[in-house]
Amino acid sequence: MALAIAALSLGVGCSESPPAAVARTTGERATTRAYDGAPPPIPHDATLGTCTTCHTDEGAAIAGVGVAPASPHGAAAAAGSMQRCRQCHAPVQTGAVFVASTFTGVAQGPWKGSRATPGAPPTIPHTLQLRENCLACHSGPAARAELRTTHPERVRCRQCHVPE
Amino acid sequence: MTTPLDRRTFLKLAGAAAPAVAAYSCADRDEAARLASANAPVDRASVTWDKAPCRFCGTGCGVMVGVEQGRVVAVRGDEASPVNKGLLCVKGYHLPGLLYGEDRLLYPQKRNADGSFSRISWDEALDLIATKFKETLDQHGPDAVGMYGSGQWTVFDGYAALKWVKGGLKSNNLEPNARLCMASAVSGFITQFQSDEPMGCYQDLDVGDDFVLWGNNMAEMHPVLFSRILETRRVKPGSRIVDIATRRTPTSDYADLFVLFKPGTDLALANGILHLLVAEGRIHTPFIDENVVFRRGIEDVKQIGYGCFGDQAERYTFEDQPRPSSLDELRAFLAHYTPAHVSEVTGVPVEQIRALANIYGDLARGTVSLWCMGVNQHVRGTWMNNLITDLHLITGKICRPGANPLSLTGQPSACGTAREVGTSNNRLPADMVVTNPEHRAEAERIWKLPAGTIPAVPGYHAVDMFRALKRGDLKALWIQTTNPWVTLPNRSRFDRTPNDGRFVVVSDIYPTPTTAIADLILPAAGWVEREGVFGNTERRTQQWNKMVEPPGEAREDAWAIIQVAKRMGMGHLFPWPDDNWHEPMFEEYREFGVGHGKDLASYAQLKQTRGMLWPVVNGKETPYRYTAGYDPYVKKKTGAHFYKAVGYGEKAAFWLRPYHPPAEAPDEAYPYWLTTGRVLEHWHSGSMTRRIKQLHQAVPEAYVEVNRADAETMGIKKGDRVKVVSRRGSVELKVEIDGRGRPPRGSLFVPFFDEAYLINLVTLDAMDNISKQPDYKKCAVRLERV
Repeated sequence: MALAIAALSLGVGCSESPPAAVARTTGERATTRAYDGAPPPIPHDATLGTCTTCHTDEGAAIAGVGVAPASPHGAAAAAGSMQRCRQCHAPVQTGAVFVASTFTGVAQGPWKGSRATPGAPPTIPHTLQLRENCLACHSGPAARAELRTTHPERVRCRQCHVPE
Repeated sequence: MTTPLDRRTFLKLAGAAAPAVAAYSCADRDEAARLASANAPVDRASVTWDKAPCRFCGTGCGVMVGVEQGRVVAVRGDEASPVNKGLLCVKGYHLPGLLYGEDRLLYPQKRNADGSFSRISWDEALDLIATKFKETLDQHGPDAVGMYGSGQWTVFDGYAALKWVKGGLKSNNLEPNARLCMASAVSGFITQFQSDEPMGCYQDLDVGDDFVLWGNNMAEMHPVLFSRILETRRVKPGSRIVDIATRRTPTSDYADLFVLFKPGTDLALANGILHLLVAEGRIHTPFIDENVVFRRGIEDVKQIGYGCFGDQAERYTFEDQPRPSSLDELRAFLAHYTPAHVSEVTGVPVEQIRALANIYGDLARGTVSLWCMGVNQHVRGTWMNNLITDLHLITGKICRPGANPLSLTGQPSACGTAREVGTSNNRLPADMVVTNPEHRAEAERIWKLPAGTIPAVPGYHAVDMFRALKRGDLKALWIQTTNPWVTLPNRSRFDRTPNDGRFVVVSDIYPTPTTAIADLILPAAGWVEREGVFGNTERRTQQWNKMVEPPGEAREDAWAIIQVAKRMGMGHLFPWPDDNWHEPMFEEYREFGVGHGKDLASYAQLKQTRGMLWPVVNGKETPYRYTAGYDPYVKKKTGAHFYKAVGYGEKAAFWLRPYHPPAEAPDEAYPYWLTTGRVLEHWHSGSMTRRIKQLHQAVPEAYVEVNRADAETMGIKKGDRVKVVSRRGSVELKVEIDGRGRPPRGSLFVPFFDEAYLINLVTLDAMDNISKQPDYKKCAVRLERV
């Protein structure tokens, strides 16, 4: 359990160099989420303070700890209905289970968008619900390596990439 | 982001390039390309999606359920649902897991003489139930059989149970667990409007100005609705949240005004507000003249009692005696609820009582009162429901968008099944009751049964039902979709040893402390393993399709009831083909309400929509009931018309209700208040949520919240184990201090989801005089160090 928490808690052991963050993979991600699209748990002490102090739209580096991933909820995070992070994100108090489960969630991807022609921008292969901030997952230190965009500077992703 | 690179976006991007982050944020293009090609894309075209309501609370959030290869693999918040507009809570997001605990009940099991269970076939199981119920009926009559169901029953389960018990067994011993949960809200609505369920809807949360939460930790119990209020507060300057509570909760953190009161004194507080409104003339006289009558009932505490002491400890049958009253009588009645006196009783500072009076008394502002278990699980819960609605009636803040009392519900179909189908000891569908000969005749007509089939005397209410089982007066009982051996108050008094001459059948999806005492266990199909209909808090009826096969031999509860009825020679009650009975059953049930202001949408329409708010007339739903311009039954051009309250001249009743103290209060031997309740991540007795990894890991076990000063006095600290002891029982728990809930000095809180720490061994079976709903919120305990 301690290991799982450590792996989740981006910070531990990776404060100095990017690779620890970059190396986060789909497989690791799947250990924290019930299925693709499920809210991840809070991998650290949930009483540290206001979540959005660190989990901003851009994410934040916490000196000596590591990286707080950006919130993928984007502008929606400003909405009152998204104020209470604990509505969806729960802490982890134990690694044990009450009764084992046979549940297997929908695979965590990576999904691949389709292209109209070779070289055309791929479509967005997932729903944009609660994933309005593209760069939270496709760029920055907390982004999974295989999902990283080659051109984060272009900002308005949906100019070229449309949902399927 | 509406423009390609507006200033704000540019600044954000610039922010992202701030030194600390920049070190990581320059994506390694080669690395990204390499990894992207190394990960084979996953084909997700095989996932199909269909709509369903959430299986947990009464909010009724819409979810899209993802199914792949016959299994539920994901959910999404349904953006097309007007309830939640795409957002869920942590329980909703983890719904799929509720079906996949490794210990699902897969086949019927019968108790042997030595206490063990053996697998039997469905045929044997159904024959056994039919034989036992028939024998009991023959030997002891219809009072000796019964059924105890649930606000989690689908409309089909509830309707099948109602028709079988009342029309087949000719018994009124039918009760839902909603008796433990919503009964005081029901009797509140019935006493004031002569029709159950609210006038308002969730839109009230979007357009109201002030949201007054009475004993309601809404941030944890109805998170999605609370998030709607938070959004309203953001976009509407000046809107406020008021948290009236007996301890600080996550809800309090968001409140503009936090009002702490002593347990049970909410009755005095509400009367104190009424005192100020009436004394200062801040009442809506034209509304009162047009729409309100005054009533009062028996007010002598000795005559009423608490349903658990002396003669009332075995059977509690109090009946109120209503009589007309008046505004003048109200003035005299309220005379002694002065701010000073109310402050002394409640512990609420005078200025806060005045602040509350200012909120209700500002007639220009829309006030929405919200409440749930704090008010309902109350020895005077009906009275407290009455007083909250009184505040709206006297100020005319009712039947206006953004100004309504809105009773929240705890189970997904407490409204749709327990209340609308009427699966309780005295009810029939659509507000009808067994004590009314015309209502019985109407039910017998629709059911094509001979006159006189339905008995006229109400059966046992829930607590008395289990008292009767213990005594042996009730001999055959079928329990479905609920877990009373965790949830009954003062549980040890209902303890039973199997093979005691009674016959108890339990249908569930998992083993629970209740299946552990059963003589026969039946495996049930859950949630989207069967077709269903639920009705939520705001009168929204929601249908879903069967999406996956249930595991093993699990079958839906309604099917099991129908099969038993057929084996008892009562097949005429369910004259539909085995492969197509849902829609015809629903359409028969619908007949009860059409034309009576309880018109449900047609099954075909329910299949097409994200639920419809009844009354649905000519295919149109009714967001605001009794309200001109919204409700097709209201012919007036403006205002309200309480057309269901025929007994009050089609007006609403304002009830004068005094303060009575709780049944038990702390004393020297038992110096602490004990309150029980829920936490966000678990739902009720925990039989589903504890089997979901993420929810169990968030709150793996129950605990007792202790005030820090009390803990210091006792020399205990967070994580210590203590014993919570009442006159009835005890339970050992881990101490929590300054966690998510923070009780004041002298108060403790324990959640009830954990069957390993049965707090209901400690609670008291005192109950509301009118609704017969137990009070889980107030009893006296002591703490012992262990």
